[in-house]
Amino acid sequence: MRPVIGLEVHVQLTGAGSKLFCGCKADYRGMPPNTNVCPVCLGLPGALPVPNRRAVVQALAAAMALKCRIPGAIVFTRKHYFYPDLPKNYQITQFERAGGAPVCTSGVLEYLDPAGWVWRRARIRRINLEEDPGRSVYPGGSIVSSEEVLVDYNRSGVPLLEIVTEPDIPSPRAARAFVEYLLLTLEYIGAVNPRLEGAFRVDANISLPGGERVEVKNIGSTLEVERALEYEYKRQRLILERGGRVERETRHWDAHRRMTKPLRHKEEEAEYLYMPDPDLPPVLTRPLLGEAEALVATSPRRLLDEITGDGVPLEVAWSIVQARPAASLYMEARGRVRDPRVLARLLGVDYKGALREAGRGPHDPSNWPPAETMARLARLVEEGEYPPEAVRGLIIPGLVRDPQASLETVLPEKAEGLEAVVDEVIRAYPRAVQDYMSGKRRALDYLVGQVIRRLGRRAVDPREVRRLLEERLGGG
Amino acid sequence: MKKRGSLAQQLASGVYNPVERLEEALYLISRLEEEVNAFITLLPEERLREEAREAQRRILEGKARPLEGVLVAVKDNISVRGLRATAGSKMLSCYKPPYNAHVVERLVDAGAIIVGKTNMDEFAMGSTGEYSAYGPTRNPWDMGRVPGGSSSGSAATLAYAAVDLALGSDTGGSIRLPAAFTATVGLKPTYGAVSRRGLIPYANSLEQIGPMARSVRDLAFLYSVIAGRDPLDATSIDYQPPDPYTLEPRDPEAVRLCVPEEIIDASEAPVKAAFEGLLSRLEAQGATIEYFRAPWTSLVLPAYYTIAMAEAASNLARYDGSLYPCHDSRARTWEELNVEARTRLFGPEVKRRIAMGVLVLSEGYRDEYYVKAAKIRRLVRDRVLGIVRECIIGQPTSPVLPPRLGERLGDPLQLYALDISTVTANLAGVPALQLPVSVEPLPVGAQLMARPRGEVDLFELGLLVEEITGLAGVSAF
Repeated sequence: MRPVIGLEVHVQLTGAGSKLFCGCKADYRGMPPNTNVCPVCLGLPGALPVPNRRAVVQALAAAMALKCRIPGAIVFTRKHYFYPDLPKNYQITQFERAGGAPVCTSGVLEYLDPAGWVWRRARIRRINLEEDPGRSVYPGGSIVSSEEVLVDYNRSGVPLLEIVTEPDIPSPRAARAFVEYLLLTLEYIGAVNPRLEGAFRVDANISLPGGERVEVKNIGSTLEVERALEYEYKRQRLILERGGRVERETRHWDAHRRMTKPLRHKEEEAEYLYMPDPDLPPVLTRPLLGEAEALVATSPRRLLDEITGDGVPLEVAWSIVQARPAASLYMEARGRVRDPRVLARLLGVDYKGALREAGRGPHDPSNWPPAETMARLARLVEEGEYPPEAVRGLIIPGLVRDPQASLETVLPEKAEGLEAVVDEVIRAYPRAVQDYMSGKRRALDYLVGQVIRRLGRRAVDPREVRRLLEERLGGG
Repeated sequence: MKKRGSLAQQLASGVYNPVERLEEALYLISRLEEEVNAFITLLPEERLREEAREAQRRILEGKARPLEGVLVAVKDNISVRGLRATAGSKMLSCYKPPYNAHVVERLVDAGAIIVGKTNMDEFAMGSTGEYSAYGPTRNPWDMGRVPGGSSSGSAATLAYAAVDLALGSDTGGSIRLPAAFTATVGLKPTYGAVSRRGLIPYANSLEQIGPMARSVRDLAFLYSVIAGRDPLDATSIDYQPPDPYTLEPRDPEAVRLCVPEEIIDASEAPVKAAFEGLLSRLEAQGATIEYFRAPWTSLVLPAYYTIAMAEAASNLARYDGSLYPCHDSRARTWEELNVEARTRLFGPEVKRRIAMGVLVLSEGYRDEYYVKAAKIRRLVRDRVLGIVRECIIGQPTSPVLPPRLGERLGDPLQLYALDISTVTANLAGVPALQLPVSVEPLPVGAQLMARPRGEVDLFELGLLVEEITGLAGVSAF
């Protein structure tokens, strides 16, 4: 039984600098409650919204990246509902059926599904640009156990993109891949840092043949997108296999218990009293398209195509593109090396792996060395100056510790007098030599190890040591 | 009845004395304010005296700003930092805005003294001044009559001369109607010419803050201070208001006035007589008067009220008793608080308009009402813009003389009918000036409507009308 999945992804434009309609900060994290507020985002009477140009441009860039139809003007609409975290009791968004033109309609995203390394395609129904509400805080723990609710308006008015897909996604794993690829696309635009807490939320619709559509709300990470849908898929399949009926409903993802739960209230037919916002004249898109276009110039897809075009395997290219600083380094350094595949491996596999081991983030540019350092290192590896073991074990960890260090300071000494050491070892381990001479090939490994140990932190190629030992001992 | 000289002239010649003027104003307030009820909040006398002395000092030192020491009243739906802004409602009886409206910022920068916040129909919803939660305002020309609304207090206090300038707001006639009933001058500016930032909204797409005064030149003076682009109001336009010093009355030979027959027909006899009297005197001086048919007149009130109520329902959604709490609540949940606050703290007219606004925006009704009203609005605007390209539209501001207190409260349609002449300018976004044509037996006003940004045409024709009527600077006390 194959599921049909459609997604509604809400992404904060944390890169927009300020909120959608005022000068308060778009990234409110770490601020004391209700300190990132002003009359506009508190909805005080008489305060007027003025669209944040950067947010609109980023939204248009997203629309371009998703190959949308972009209307001539964006028309903001008021959507009314009473809720404590919504200070005006309406949200400014767009709604085409009430004369409010959204940022985009009918787009498509081609996304890479790393399970099988295939490209998939999901149609985009529309993108809205809207205000995030404030945040309800329950001092007693949860909505159920708390006597009172506190509201923090620091988030109120943060620009939010609502991206709605058609039901084109074939599996929970693909849904996760879609969201990851979408977030990466938006990150390249400069619109969002998806690693910030609460920077995106996902609502997912899933149905199985013979069942109604179920909406799962409140999914907060890409891993949970897969988990929630996997859970819901199994739950619905079980019901259908037992001959039951899957009702149309809205469920809530409980990340802690890893299960979906029905929402307590039956949803009423919502009446949002949509109305074009009279405080906001239509925002003409044409004058902003050039600016938006510049933001989509380096899309993940374009980079992947460029990097794989250099002969780099897709897995390695994907690893590079997932970390923006690695991708920039690659593009900067690729012209200065003979074989870009060596550079790609250094960046996407070795250095990124070392960062992970060291517990440092691959998304922070300051954790990466300058392009010149990486290019020189790649050339040294190409020329066989240092064996891979030395690069992985000595040079890269040195750079991870201090990315600004000059290459010279992290390069190990060349092992001078290797032959003398080999002779030393042959003299020191007569038993091993004897074993080897009598046909125990593994004794040679032991001797190689001893040579490397005596060389300490100096760089040496184990194959070279083996060759020298064999030469001295007469090939066994 | 009394006539005062032009404030603009006094300021220009440097003879204006804020300390003396304030003492006179405080005397008039002590004598009349209790009966008229023009103010919801008055500033403490000591603070006003201090500001007047400071203004006097600046004048003597030659450092006077454009409105140095001028007494101004501000309608209570316009935000003044730290000063209670109730908008005439119990809902906001404790609300003190933490910021100044753009126009207030400009007033303060120009050296004006804000005397107080004036009474008004609750959230500007009313045409008589009687729908205030702080009691009705009375008309200084006849204390048994209403001063008109919703800028009732601003008009009334000008009429008893406690201030020389006032700010009102006009959504469908709320500056012009009270100005007509109190023989004062009021302007509904071109939409976007004056920033709405800080105006507690009733119907955003229709309303403007506007100047009120006792003469056209004083009004032009205040207008030159408050008008102009505000980048923090997205509906604000690039616009340079006319220079009040260089304004001259228009040559009557160059006046072409277009008069809609439907509005004349809808006016009661004394209003019609006074207005036609003005027309014949203009004609005698060489002006061209033309009558035209405006068959859309029957559509303007339904279209206007549909749009205004829809926007009102939306704007007033935020008053749920939580962010603006000011009562002993027995509510135990947020929903209960909502219902309690909106039940107890909104007045009847506000509730009526919210209910109607919700209806016209609801699924199944929106197309029939809200969308249709928007279409009528476009039609009316196109027709009106076509006419004001050619001539200035002139008509009585109100179809009737100032009603007696209570007279119009029984039937809301009777109340809304007062706006028949004024709402067109709001639907079309064009500027409209009201000025008195007679005060005997009661004030009657004329309204002039011009092309967008055509305030200068209105002021010039207004100065000519003042020459004819001799009513510049008139007040009841």
